[in-house]
Amino acid sequence: MAGTAGTAGPRLCRRLEGEAARAVLANADTLLFDCDGVLWRGDTAISGAPAALGRLAAAGKRLCYVTNNSGRTRVAYTEKLRRLGFPPAEPRHIFGTAFCAARYLRQALPPGAAAYVLGGPALAAELEAVGIPHLGPGPAALPGPAPADWAKAPLDPAVRAVLVGFDEHFSYAKLCQALRYLLQNPDCLLVGTNRDHRLPLEGGAAIPGTGCLVKAVETAAQREAFIVGKPNRFMFDCVASEFQVDPARTIMVGDRLDTDILMGNSCGLTTLLTLTGVTALDEVQAHLDSDCPARHSLVPDYYVDSIADLLPALGE
Amino acid sequence: MASCRRLSGAGLREVLGPAQGLLFDCDGVLWAGERAVPGAPELLERLRRSGKAALFVSNNSRRSVAELERRFSRLGFRGVRAEHVFSSALCSALFLRQRLLGGGGNGSGAGRVFVLGGEGLRGEVRDAGLRLAGEGEPAPGEPVRAVLVGYDDQFTFAKLAQACSYLRDPQCLLVATDPDPWHPLSDGQRTPGTGSLTAAVETASGRKALVVGKPNTYMFDCIVERFGVDPSRTLMVGDRLETDILFGKNCGLATILTLTGVSRLEEAQAYMASDSAAAKDLVPNYYVDSIADLIPGLDE
Repeated sequence: MAGTAGTAGPRLCRRLEGEAARAVLANADTLLFDCDGVLWRGDTAISGAPAALGRLAAAGKRLCYVTNNSGRTRVAYTEKLRRLGFPPAEPRHIFGTAFCAARYLRQALPPGAAAYVLGGPALAAELEAVGIPHLGPGPAALPGPAPADWAKAPLDPAVRAVLVGFDEHFSYAKLCQALRYLLQNPDCLLVGTNRDHRLPLEGGAAIPGTGCLVKAVETAAQREAFIVGKPNRFMFDCVASEFQVDPARTIMVGDRLDTDILMGNSCGLTTLLTLTGVTALDEVQAHLDSDCPARHSLVPDYYVDSIADLLPALGE
Repeated sequence: MASCRRLSGAGLREVLGPAQGLLFDCDGVLWAGERAVPGAPELLERLRRSGKAALFVSNNSRRSVAELERRFSRLGFRGVRAEHVFSSALCSALFLRQRLLGGGGNGSGAGRVFVLGGEGLRGEVRDAGLRLAGEGEPAPGEPVRAVLVGYDDQFTFAKLAQACSYLRDPQCLLVATDPDPWHPLSDGQRTPGTGSLTAAVETASGRKALVVGKPNTYMFDCIVERFGVDPSRTLMVGDRLETDILFGKNCGLATILTLTGVSRLEEAQAYMASDSAAAKDLVPNYYVDSIADLIPGLDE
């Protein structure tokens, strides 16, 4: 059966344990971790996860964090990692969609161009950090109570992109503004941080994800957004531009098939699914059993019940 | 396939002569914003004098039919009564009444409806005998049985989250008044439509909405139930290919596109030239620059 890092052949989602686990980990220089559902749930570390990452760091592995969450800055992520007992990380190891979206716009926009942002303070801070003027975060500043008023408010002619991230202040008025900007200039970019439908919270609850807001804007504007986040390979490209990363010696660890695993597979990484998040094993089986090649690209090389299961392979 | 012929001269009389009635979309057909399309009130008057029925079918879910009746009058259209007007707000309420109340009876035990929309839509739902979530004390055993997405200019993330929490119950229906992605404003700009809000709710809940409005045929069922129209003797007049014209096709009506609204003639021609079968359903039988052009087709 195929499946070890770097070899061709179908991915079979084998349980990673014993000798295979030792070999796969020994062959990797870099591990990329999704965060929600992999390292922690809400504000609680997954039991054994900090220890596992501690051992990986001690073994000299480079650890990076690749998350579709657009609600935190890189510094805030280093804080959370520290607080939850994970090995120390620098901001440059953190790749969230707020940071990556700002990087994307810095590449894609002409100098001085501004972005209209449906998003929160983290997105604003990352845009600020790369020098992109922006407007929009927070509740809509309405010039009057009715849509007729909103449609008359002056538009900033410097805006050349609409950026959609997680926005708890999303409203019809902001959607209206986004649409106006997209129609004002035919070259206006439409960028979304990610398509996740739901943001899992502590205790199994969930709230609507950024994907819903992206879909609302796409529907109103009748055009498709460029999505920065997983499964798009742009985030891996950000990692690769910061560090010398050999895909054949890199493992992507995640809990979602259609984001983490799909991105890892598309970029030629070894992919490891953990079951502490949103995916159950029978979903993978269904993809494996299907005839559809697109579904096969959602199948990881390996799985574990929890990344704590890697501890024996990392022991002294 | 329909051939998108300009309707004029002798063609007008050939097409309008045998028609018993016309169904009109409203926005972009009868009026644009606060202005009636020139000649539109006269056309309706001439239809009345010719003994032809005029009924109105609109995807706009903002206004109650009572408000629409006042609007017709204010813009110079005479003789249009609320019972002639089929808005997506009214028809969504009728649809929910059927599904939740079985078409009759009182509201108790039927469950409540969570409405994303304005007072016009909420009023139609109440008038249909349904209780709204968030109004009055919920009776025990009165769960939210439907989420209704309409044009909601007060839509917020919090309301989206609330809708999703109701939709976790697989028994709770997800209904949308109409699929329109945007609507034109009088200055040429666009404002987001119900379709964009429905897309957000569908994505968050993982459910597909039941869409009441055009191009789906439910509103025609409502019309037939009340007035018994014969599709083969009825013409559909609209300005939006993807809703009005497709609606006509779906209901077995001949269609007339008027160019005073959303769709351009080039778009109809592009659909005509397309290889896709679905595109061909969007091609109108006829077109006119404005519905005033229909006047010469009627008897003096």
